Amino acid sequence: MSTIAETASRDQIRRRQRVDGWRWAGRLFLVFMLLYTALPMVWMLSTSIKSGFAAMQFSPQLWPDQPTLASYQKLLDPQNSVGQDFLRFFWNSLIVSTATTILSVIVAVPAAYAFSRFTFPGRNFLFFAVLLRNMFPAVIFLVPLFILMRAIGLVNTHGSLVLTYLTFGLPLAIWLLKGFYDNIPVQLEQAARIDGATRFQAFMLIVMPLSTPGIIATAIYSFIGAWNEYIYAYTFLSKNEQLTLPVGIQRFFSENTTDFPGLMAASFMMSVPVVVLFLLLQRYFVRALTEGAVKH
Amino acid sequence: MTIVSGKAEARRPLQSGRSDVLRKMWEHRADYAYVLPAIAVMLVVIAYPIYYTIELSFFNTPPGLQLRDKIFVGFNNYTAILTSGVFWQVTFNTLIWTAASTFFSFVLGFAAALALHRDFIGRGVLRAILIIPWVISAVAASYIWKWIYHSDFGIIGAVLVELGWAERPPNFIDSVSTVLPSLIVVNIWREFPFAMIMMTAGLQTVPEQLLRAAKVDGANAWQRFWHVTFPHLRNVSTVTILLLAVANFNSFIIPWIMTGGGPSNASHIWITHIYELAFGRQRWGVAAAYSVLLFLILMTLGYFYVRALSSNERKEGNA
Amino acid sequence: MAHVVLKDLVKTYGGFKAVNEVSLTVNDGEFVALVGPSGCGKTTTLNLVAGLTSVTSGDIVIGDRVVNDLDPKDRDIAMVFQNYALYPQKSVYMNLAFPLQMRKLPRDEIDRKVREAARVLDMTQLLERKPRELSGGQQQRVALGRALVRDPAVFLMDEPLSNLDAKLRVQMRSEIKRFHQDLKATIIYVTHDQLEAVTMADRMAVMNGGYLQQYDSPAQVFAHPVNMFVASFVGSPAMSLIPLEASTANGDAVLTSAEGWSLALSEANARKIQGATTRKIVLGARHSTIKLHKSAVAGAIPAKAYTVEPTGDVTFVQAFLSGAIVNISVSPKIAVAPDEQIWLEFDQERMHLFDGETEMALRAN
Repeated sequence: MSTIAETASRDQIRRRQRVDGWRWAGRLFLVFMLLYTALPMVWMLSTSIKSGFAAMQFSPQLWPDQPTLASYQKLLDPQNSVGQDFLRFFWNSLIVSTATTILSVIVAVPAAYAFSRFTFPGRNFLFFAVLLRNMFPAVIFLVPLFILMRAIGLVNTHGSLVLTYLTFGLPLAIWLLKGFYDNIPVQLEQAARIDGATRFQAFMLIVMPLSTPGIIATAIYSFIGAWNEYIYAYTFLSKNEQLTLPVGIQRFFSENTTDFPGLMAASFMMSVPVVVLFLLLQRYFVRALTEGAVKH
Repeated sequence: MTIVSGKAEARRPLQSGRSDVLRKMWEHRADYAYVLPAIAVMLVVIAYPIYYTIELSFFNTPPGLQLRDKIFVGFNNYTAILTSGVFWQVTFNTLIWTAASTFFSFVLGFAAALALHRDFIGRGVLRAILIIPWVISAVAASYIWKWIYHSDFGIIGAVLVELGWAERPPNFIDSVSTVLPSLIVVNIWREFPFAMIMMTAGLQTVPEQLLRAAKVDGANAWQRFWHVTFPHLRNVSTVTILLLAVANFNSFIIPWIMTGGGPSNASHIWITHIYELAFGRQRWGVAAAYSVLLFLILMTLGYFYVRALSSNERKEGNA
Repeated sequence: MAHVVLKDLVKTYGGFKAVNEVSLTVNDGEFVALVGPSGCGKTTTLNLVAGLTSVTSGDIVIGDRVVNDLDPKDRDIAMVFQNYALYPQKSVYMNLAFPLQMRKLPRDEIDRKVREAARVLDMTQLLERKPRELSGGQQQRVALGRALVRDPAVFLMDEPLSNLDAKLRVQMRSEIKRFHQDLKATIIYVTHDQLEAVTMADRMAVMNGGYLQQYDSPAQVFAHPVNMFVASFVGSPAMSLIPLEASTANGDAVLTSAEGWSLALSEANARKIQGATTRKIVLGARHSTIKLHKSAVAGAIPAKAYTVEPTGDVTFVQAFLSGAIVNISVSPKIAVAPDEQIWLEFDQERMHLFDGETEMALRAN
């Protein structure tokens, strides 16, 4: 009798120890991941507020004695040539990303809706053809697209970028949105149609408002993708006044290789819009992934 | 005289098998309007380039991008690739790069998702911080790490010297033996958050009841994970790993900006190599042949990708 | 209000026939239930009437118009869905107003009608809530209200009570019946629950495998099922169906069991059997038409009680006869124990006889 109780309690203690072991391993792991993730970013920030001289010091200071915002002032000053370039790149990136985002939503929403609701012949083939786009690297398309863009007169325009960015954003956008529409009961639309709405009205008045989180997620994804894109912009654009941020920064700093504070400040500023956007809207993104990609 | 309206005409049933498909397509003609914009964009920007690349791979082009003057050379471009020593080195690099990046990104991402599954104070903040590397531009990431690895002023080198583990700062990305692992660390830094997000989303769908039932049945934490959680996540894991593998196979920015493929090709992977052949050395035909080979490899991967996705589809039912 | 006519209605999906030449007429102000097991084509039929699915062949008439090619919005119908299909982002008020807004009614008239409907359904205090803040019964009532404000020619209801718990279902059942009586509305009501059909409908259309089996008043369907499917589907517990063989003993018609016993038939029942083309006969008997004896009685068949289920008002006894399960209801005063020897006496006037091959009911010529 007593032995049974003893074994039970010993078991319990052992189990609690094991659970604690897992939990401690998890905490340790998270600390490691936090350092791995955050330290490079901290180092970027710390370098960006150093003077050029302080950055080249051995051994480096983790945090500068005399922090300075000189690099940021230089980048944001429309009076000097560095600032002019940087602000122009920033503006170009904003234009291209916003245009891509708006077009992605306009194209992806009806396509995702059709893939979710209708059973027209070739539906599966088309759906997977769209998804297959994800498989191919930019490089495969680069040469022919460059020639194509030259043929239709889009080289050195932002239009060439928007058109290209549209295609690499679309597959995941359609996929995410399709998952969203799959989860909206078809009866809602049927009810609306019986209540006197046309198919289009049922879509606009009932389905669209319900899929807003999915559309927001799609928009974020398109925007971030376009904002960060490098290889097409690098190939399609050669005129300085057209460049987007990733290419512009690269061109700029390959000429000034030692200005690491400036480079870090530019990297930081380039990251701010997408990070802020993502952090504000990340719950929509995770939800869209859960409903769109995972929950089947 | 009989008046037949267009609508009645369209509804008349057609008999043979092929016109059955046509009739169905006609009946669903309105549905295609929804996907048409997407398909049109994809056709212009995908189908045409693929066709063009295949054609170009059989031609030799003079430098200067005067593509009108191309000369048909049959399979010469392909044999040139397969007999060159660089090809095998680059292929080896690509395999190491893709396998290591994918494996560690997935393992770290999955582990982070698991560790963040239980609620605690600050979980949201921690999760947000861990996602940031995936959100920022790869160009920014490349510059940050290039600075961290800097052979004179890099922080890692300085710390190693300070601790007395090294005489002087090591040349992480200027040395043939360390360049590839160093770049892989950067790539994992950028890629693991994606695995974390996917697996977090997946973990939320693990039925709580099943875990509770397993607990009642006497399963410990590890057994619950292995017998309930993990099998439930098999599909998400497959899709995540495939997406990671494809993304890593296709990565360009990190090696291109950090090393440009050097030193002496030690960090060249397929994509950077193709880019250099095409836009650096203007050998368009060879680059196109490389692209076609790449294409074939990716189609094989793509087959598994679609299969993993369609097994999701099937479970969803055919409503 | 209007009548509805379905004429040779067919719907095929690929090679699969979901609805097979269904013809029936719903009179003005009539409550008709489409009832059958899942996959029998009842919901597809309703969707065809609603215009949510396109007709393969045949005609649908609402009022005096053929509506085959009309959009749902132009058919002058209202529909209540199993999952209520309330617009989750809209308040109850806006849910009720939506069909009127779609018809571009003036705002004050919309307001008047919405408040009137809310008053009738006793949910004025719920108007500002969102659907997810309502209980299942309240959501159901809003769905009814949304159909009601429209004042449509026909109400279509697709399993409207299936998502409610048992107690609420009984309550809403009588509310819908009341609703029908007050409005003199034409209602087509789809359900898989034969009890709902029997209790609520003026006429019920029993469907199976895409075919209409029987279309008649619940009393007629209950008393004179046309075939074994209808017989076993309508009524609870289900009618017992015992496979037997027709033969004669001493010149009289009897049904014999493979178990060795035989059952003498009344003259009327004997005549029914003469009309059959086969000797395989299935005897159908409802639980209330079988008398249970605790000792041997002339004409009663010996059997063994298998399970005994007291429900309070009656006790249901199950026994095996000829390999079939037989349900018998007895007064709770009669105590029967499992495995106890019992004797079963069939009521000749209320028994059903079916052709064992065609499964059709045998009728006296």
